[in-house]
Amino acid sequence: MSDAETLDGMSTVEVRTSATAALIPTIRAVASDLAARADFDLDAISDLRMAVDEACATLVDAAEPTSVLQCRFLVRPERIRVHAEVEAAKADTVLSTDTFGWRVLQTLADEVEVLHEAATEGRRATVGIRLDKSAGDVPR
Amino acid sequence: MSEAVTPEPFGVGLPLDTQVSRPRAGSVLLEVDGEIDTLTAARLQAGLDEALDAARSEGSGVVVDLSGVTFLASSGLAVLIGGARRVAGFGARLRLVAASRAVTRPLQVTGADALFDTFDDVASALAAAALDVAPPPGVAPPSGEVGR
Repeated sequence: MSDAETLDGMSTVEVRTSATAALIPTIRAVASDLAARADFDLDAISDLRMAVDEACATLVDAAEPTSVLQCRFLVRPERIRVHAEVEAAKADTVLSTDTFGWRVLQTLADEVEVLHEAATEGRRATVGIRLDKSAGDVPR
Repeated sequence: MSEAVTPEPFGVGLPLDTQVSRPRAGSVLLEVDGEIDTLTAARLQAGLDEALDAARSEGSGVVVDLSGVTFLASSGLAVLIGGARRVAGFGARLRLVAASRAVTRPLQVTGADALFDTFDDVASALAAAALDVAPPPGVAPPSGEVGR
């Protein structure tokens, strides 16, 4: 799993923006484009676009105002993994998962996980979301 | 690190347009065009409030035309669901025109579609909305130019 977290020479795309809601349309457009090129079916493309929007919106709400929103897409055969992350507004910021948006995100993605990393020397605390989406309703 | 800058609202996303009209007696139509996300959901809310207030005071049915919507996030779904609840409060159903996948898929995957009556085109939605309410006295019922 850890090798999938690096730029490993496979199809990996990373988008970095200011952590502002105004730039989420750009990120979800990238998600949609990658899914289309990876031959996702139309429902799965729509689901991924919406899931990425949801994840980014959740993170922007929890972000330190001058944070970067880093969104990494790992395109694999039959699936895309998305790892999005921001610097947390506070050291103890926790993503709330009892919201309507979070329930929608869980419905849209095959798997979704919250990632909290405590601050270390020279690095602020971060909050992130990792989600997986498969290309379509293929039997697994 | 560079100095803190206040992020300017940056118009990358398409703006959301809403317009309320009365294309036929007994129905209020809210047309929505653009992308509905956390930035624009408030504009949808304002348009929907205007349409529902008008329908309530005029005793009309409501149709929300989402044909021009190219993205619908949970923030927008929440506004539509709130509208459906409000309309249910006066014993009616909120009618949506939703033909594109950008709208039908979010409704379907969240199960929210059960809260609305959904139509493929405005004409059939308006025809159904007009059946909600008796036409006001003195207004002739529209002849059969709409609907099927």
